[in-house]
Amino acid sequence: MRYHSPTDFASASALAAGASGVTRFLSGGTDVLVQMRAGMVLPDDLIDLKKIPGVSDITQTAGGGWRIGVAVPGIVLGAHEGLKADWPGVVEGMNLVGSTQVQGRATLTGNLCNGSPAADSVPGLVAAGAVVEITGPTGVRTVAVEAIPAGPGKTTLAKGELISAIVLPARGDNAGDAYLRFIPRTEMDIAVVGCAVSLRLSGDTITEARVALGAVAPTVLLVSAAADAIIGTTLDDAALDALAAAASAAANPITDKRGTKEFRVEIAGVLAKRAAKIAFARAKGETA
Amino acid sequence: MARITVHLWSGLRRLTDGDLESVEVDASTVGEALVAVAAQHPGLEPVLAAGVSVVIDGEVSTSRRQVIQPGSEVYLMQRLKGG
Amino acid sequence: MAKDGFETLKLVGTRPNRPDGLDKVTGRARYGADFSLPGMLWGAVVRSPHAHARIVKIDATKAEALDGVKAVITRADFPTGLTGEDWNLQENTMAGEKALYDGHAVAAVAATSKLLAEQAARLIEVTYEVLPHVIDVDAAMAEGAPVIRAGAADATVPEGLHPNVVRYMEFGRGDVDAGFAEADLVMERTYKTEATHQGYIEPHACVSKMGADGKGEMWVCTQGHWYIRKMSAAVLGIEASQLRVTPTEIGGGFGGKTTIFMEPLSLALSKKAGGRPVKIVMSRSEVLRATGPTASASMDVKIGMTKDGKITAARAEFRMQGGAFPGAPVDMALYCCFAGYKLANVHHVGYDVLANRPKCAAYRAPGSPNGAFAVESLVDEMCRKLGLDPVEVRLKNGVTTGDRASYGPKFGSIGLTEVLEAVKAHPQLQAPLGENQGRGFAVGYWFNHNGETSVSMAIGEDGTAQVSVGTPDIGGSRASIALMVAETLGIPYEDVGVNVVETGALGVNEPTHGSRATFASGKAAVEATQAAIKEMCRRAAAEWDIDDEAVEWVNGAAQPAGPNAGKFPPMSIKEIAGKMGQTGGPISGHHESVPDGVGASFGAHVVDLEVDPETGRVTILRYLVVQDAGRAIHPSYVEGQYQGGAAQGIGWALNEEYVYDDKGRLSNTVFLDYRVPVASDLPMIDTVIVEVPNPGHPFGVRGVGETGITPPLPAIANAIHDAVGVRMTHLPINPPKLLAALKAR
Repeated sequence: MRYHSPTDFASASALAAGASGVTRFLSGGTDVLVQMRAGMVLPDDLIDLKKIPGVSDITQTAGGGWRIGVAVPGIVLGAHEGLKADWPGVVEGMNLVGSTQVQGRATLTGNLCNGSPAADSVPGLVAAGAVVEITGPTGVRTVAVEAIPAGPGKTTLAKGELISAIVLPARGDNAGDAYLRFIPRTEMDIAVVGCAVSLRLSGDTITEARVALGAVAPTVLLVSAAADAIIGTTLDDAALDALAAAASAAANPITDKRGTKEFRVEIAGVLAKRAAKIAFARAKGETA
Repeated sequence: MARITVHLWSGLRRLTDGDLESVEVDASTVGEALVAVAAQHPGLEPVLAAGVSVVIDGEVSTSRRQVIQPGSEVYLMQRLKGG
Repeated sequence: MAKDGFETLKLVGTRPNRPDGLDKVTGRARYGADFSLPGMLWGAVVRSPHAHARIVKIDATKAEALDGVKAVITRADFPTGLTGEDWNLQENTMAGEKALYDGHAVAAVAATSKLLAEQAARLIEVTYEVLPHVIDVDAAMAEGAPVIRAGAADATVPEGLHPNVVRYMEFGRGDVDAGFAEADLVMERTYKTEATHQGYIEPHACVSKMGADGKGEMWVCTQGHWYIRKMSAAVLGIEASQLRVTPTEIGGGFGGKTTIFMEPLSLALSKKAGGRPVKIVMSRSEVLRATGPTASASMDVKIGMTKDGKITAARAEFRMQGGAFPGAPVDMALYCCFAGYKLANVHHVGYDVLANRPKCAAYRAPGSPNGAFAVESLVDEMCRKLGLDPVEVRLKNGVTTGDRASYGPKFGSIGLTEVLEAVKAHPQLQAPLGENQGRGFAVGYWFNHNGETSVSMAIGEDGTAQVSVGTPDIGGSRASIALMVAETLGIPYEDVGVNVVETGALGVNEPTHGSRATFASGKAAVEATQAAIKEMCRRAAAEWDIDDEAVEWVNGAAQPAGPNAGKFPPMSIKEIAGKMGQTGGPISGHHESVPDGVGASFGAHVVDLEVDPETGRVTILRYLVVQDAGRAIHPSYVEGQYQGGAAQGIGWALNEEYVYDDKGRLSNTVFLDYRVPVASDLPMIDTVIVEVPNPGHPFGVRGVGETGITPPLPAIANAIHDAVGVRMTHLPINPPKLLAALKAR
């Protein structure tokens, strides 16, 4: 195994493009190192990104959004008051990953690139409309977060491409987001179902919404039918029922060791309702 | 040496000559009782050899040399231990 | 010591820090994986990816060609001709003709580094012919099920049963049909429990060396090093006397570390590698796939009850699989399931069945939780149907000292009534319950065990004492034994050291199993201490030139026994010890026995919980454990045992299970997916220590380790019924299962 520690993303990309065997990028390492230890992945080239300047920074963009470096660990996101005020759903999703120790290392970008449909931070990013900046052999491009996962353990990143930052849009007024996951325990578990809702109000009426589901399909889903079910409503009972029905209808899960297909379909609707209520309350300025 | 009644668990009855609930033997110790039971009912021998707990008046016996008092209640049970 | 002497105790019943505590919290304690030797090799094990497969060929050519690979072993390196349990252990240690479960060892390799050993293991090519497999106990004994091993049944199995049924038992008394005819309500139900793992934090680890002369040494984390020695020797065909085994500190066992898994492999690898030490440390997934979980069970229970709650007859038929080898604890399950009830008419039937799963090991009161789930669920259901209080019904039918147990013999001193009265008096029974909240109650039992025990103690020149025991400390037994020895000697707790010593240092000791360490090693330690006291009195008598019998031991000193014995000031232990070199040499005491006087322990649990009706998720709100400890030597560790048993039982009831895919491979091989409760899942578990002293122990001790895992399974099912009205008969009651039941309501 060859260990590399480039100091800029172009070099990291060039190393990956030129590598012939199994290649992994290393940031927090909470997936890669565990997989290596378990013998599941034995990289020929391991490219450490932590030596690249700026990867541990959270900075405000010119438009009022947030640019999050690829090595920012969950615990730093959770301690960032500005980010938490704007995107509490994104932060709470990331903060559900693993234990306190894992939070000290694990990153949003790593959680996304690990390609798990159950990744806790991804539905929040998708609902938020976040984008990723990708550095590759042909330069830098920007794509929506939901375009990255391609299936369990797979991403749409091409050979030599890597994410160089995650960018959240400006939050704007009268808006809120929330993420909930279902696990049978209270922590240290993988989502059986995850759901994020982001919405904006005009008065009590929802004018914009995005609903994302995790762990109910090969990738995290952006469910426009679920958003449509609550846009134009005050999130009354009928709207909540329609939201639940749309979320359940969009769910296309499997039965596995973590839960049954029927259960996941049902819970997708339950979580969508509960997350929407929290997002709604946050948009109203309540600190729920 | 006293006449002792050894109570069997009923799964063992099939292995006795005559489908017996209990076996009468002359013995003064646990070891003697087991030898006598096996001698009377050779079908029980492999089960006894594999190990059983001998319970005397509610206590699991601790030694084959343990003396059985006349009138004591003797039960054979599957070997006990635990986690 | 007389029972009525307890009020004079100074140390027993107090809560000093455990002697091993500081080392553990500062990382100085040496666990299995912490041990290393110069020149040490690392071992790795090749495991079957199939649930059931004929091993056609094992080709280690590529592995052996790697630089740094020092030995490869397969079953061909083991002796043949073993029989009975020795054969079972050997076959489980290393597969022979067939791999019998996913994770079954088929080869092992030793190399100069862990990475290299793992790489070599991956290069060993095994050709399998995959065979049909069976996982579920009912499926395994059904007609047409794949035969795991023909001829494995023992003499107890009647003709006509499937060859996977390897043991059969039947026992009882009275006339159950007549008893059911007397009842106002007769109910019968079938219950299932899934296999669970002990879930100890420390994976199995050992370092072994064995030379060409057949002499070996091993350092291993285990509950019983004499068992490791005996079993490893049997499996490898060596003399047990040539093997010296030292236990390391142990990070949990719960019964799972009372037998061998990879230990003989490290010895065999060492021998083949020219005597270089070989270390093997299991990964978590190896622990879950290839060590001994508990059995799964399918159970029919039928009970007859009168309108006023008297049980007139009871019948249980249990089917349990304990993996691909005989040994499911169906006997214990049957013995314990009705143990709390005075029954004139009772009948038990049991089947021990093979399935393509790892060989089960003991797990905390083996069998008892399964049986309790079935019986205590049905009793609860019948109480509700008849409008009776479940605690009163247990009191009405409950056994007391001298009653005949459901399994035959009469009970010695027991404290079920006292436990039930303590439950009734506890405020939790009056705590208000909200919507979707419920309260459940159940009783549990464990016999407790004595076992071969050998203890030595020696008086130091400074008047302190060192005690050598052979029962590894898995629950605070060193602290408890130190308290008992210090109490007996009349010296401070801090002046007594208790060490768990190796196989060369004592006579044979059974493992720490059957809740026996504080009972058996404790009792033997007190006996050994009495012997040393007698010698110290003799030394004082010689000094004073009076009869040995004229000296008594009081408050840590020899003194003349009464005014006629002579007028001398007390001679302290420090004084006697300080000059023992001139008065006859070292002073020590020993005791070897299978101690009699085991005291059984009953317990009762009350759980308050809440069900989320939209998700089926259960939250434990309050939890109460009430159990008879005989006498709590160190109450903190008694409470710890109660809480630990409850926590494991809650996991078993709600989320823990072995999940197999359609190919018979274990799906959840890490703690992420094998869902033991995490700390935040549980409330503080409240405990009440009931003390009905065991007359068979000098301080009244009953074993406390096991009973506590028994009641949570039914107590939780009963509480869920109370909360939402559904009766769950198949564990675990995980959210998908409970939500489905709620929707079917």
